[in-house]
Amino acid sequence: MTLIQLLEGPLWKGSAAIFVVFGIWRLAVILFTGRTRAKAKPAGSPFVGSVRTILGHFLPGAAIRGHGKTWFVTLAGYSFHIGLFALLLFAAPHVTFIRDKILGVGWAPLPRWGFIVAAEFAFAGLLALWVRRFVDPVVRLISRPDDHIAAGLTFVVMLTGCMALGQQSVFLRGLHLGLVEIWLVYFPFSSLMHTFTWPLSRGLTGAMAGRRGTRM
Amino acid sequence: MAKSLWCILTRFLPRLLVMVLLFTGAQGLLVAPGAAQGIATGVTMETGPENTLGNRSDAEIWHDLRLGADGIVTPPSGPDAGTVINANGTWWSNMRRADGPLVRYGGYGLAGVVGILLLFFLIRGRIGYGEDSGKQILRFRLSQRVVHWTVAAIFILMASTGLILLFGRAYVVPFAGKTVYSVLATASMQAHNLFGPVFAVFLLAMLFLFIRGNIPKPHDIWWILKGGGFFGGHASAGKYNFGEKLWFWTAILAGITLTVTGFLMLFPDTFAPEVVKTLQAQGLSQIPPTRDTIHYSELAHAIAALIFIGYALGHIYLGTIGTKGSLKGMVDGKVDENWARAHHDLWLDLQQKKQQETEK
Repeated sequence: MTLIQLLEGPLWKGSAAIFVVFGIWRLAVILFTGRTRAKAKPAGSPFVGSVRTILGHFLPGAAIRGHGKTWFVTLAGYSFHIGLFALLLFAAPHVTFIRDKILGVGWAPLPRWGFIVAAEFAFAGLLALWVRRFVDPVVRLISRPDDHIAAGLTFVVMLTGCMALGQQSVFLRGLHLGLVEIWLVYFPFSSLMHTFTWPLSRGLTGAMAGRRGTRM
Repeated sequence: MAKSLWCILTRFLPRLLVMVLLFTGAQGLLVAPGAAQGIATGVTMETGPENTLGNRSDAEIWHDLRLGADGIVTPPSGPDAGTVINANGTWWSNMRRADGPLVRYGGYGLAGVVGILLLFFLIRGRIGYGEDSGKQILRFRLSQRVVHWTVAAIFILMASTGLILLFGRAYVVPFAGKTVYSVLATASMQAHNLFGPVFAVFLLAMLFLFIRGNIPKPHDIWWILKGGGFFGGHASAGKYNFGEKLWFWTAILAGITLTVTGFLMLFPDTFAPEVVKTLQAQGLSQIPPTRDTIHYSELAHAIAALIFIGYALGHIYLGTIGTKGSLKGMVDGKVDENWARAHHDLWLDLQQKKQQETEK
């Protein structure tokens, strides 16, 4: 068995299994371990507070009004996340991979120019946000090694993906796939889980505020 | 038998190809514009007696093709419509060869910069500023620091991939072989092309965030006359000294050159002809809107990149091991007051004056 066969076969299946099993396990822990019930009489609706916070925080209101540093974080955050998901789900090699190796069905991929634009936004956003972790004293203080590993892994996965774009080298494809597999194994145990946990944390914060009759 | 086969391959097939091209050209499938670059008026094929090869040699036919003979064209449209072989690119091929002048002198230049920096470090050592005063002063805002380091990160990626592409055939192939270099080259090209536009955007942001303070002032003359204090003595400077100003404008001008020529190379069939036509209409360029544009772009791109990288090596040296306290200023944004007094005393005086006025 060649290295590329190993990466596309057992290692891919193994890393995908770890990603799914431990990702579900971590979500289940959050959802089912329970919380101490609040005993105070509610002053408002937790449900309304939750929905309002989950949806309302998508709006870049503070950023548009130019409040403090939020405009930069909001802009870079949207740039990175939208770019990344466009690459992840609509890059032509990914659509083919998803069709052939995961779902059995594919969809229309982005045209090449669309891929380039998405990649530009994703890289610009990720780099700016990651650099901020080093040069903003407050953010540096609250950043853990996990945050840097997560950002660094995501960056090299994206970088090697773009390097393999010419689809001329098995080595480059293998390098990208190998790093994706490391990323998948790391994912459930790291801050990368915020991909799935953000509605839970944002919803809980909103629900607590709603119950107290306040807004987030 | 082998001789006959060789004769067919070397003599008959090329002529057959030319005849097919002539025939299709006559059918109007191919364009025969006046865009040919040479002086030949067309390839003529006079058929000789049966079983003979005609009255023109292979050398004559290929000579005419190389000069851009009318009537035999491969690209029906685009910047090179009407040209089979663009012989004007030979100079560029020679220039960028592994043993050509660009690689040789570019390599000498970069090695020279590294050598000078090493020598300077051995002679001068690390430039200090005495003891810490304990008082910090804000030098760079968060936005400036984020943009600076983002540009720096992309620059390292762009420079390393660009150097692989420029010097790879000369310095990677002999050691690692062609297979390894082919992988490196394709990876470098994809990354270089992809990060180029991001670099351009952040460089533009850097221009706006750092231009204030980088306009040359009369006191810069004294800084130059005192050798910037690099060899002893004190040279007064504002927020940025003349060396930093020179670096800023070099980075911006080289960055603009890299961006424009980079886009010309990324879009050779669309962007390049339009830009060149516009420049010609304004009387700003004599370069024809053909592949020649790309050759000049590549040369300008390489020279601008070598200047940028060379100067960046000096900047990186002075910003890290060369000068105590400088790196901290660009990471935390704040510098010690004694550092500011040693390197940017005019700026420090101005800041203290502003603070005193605010306190009043």
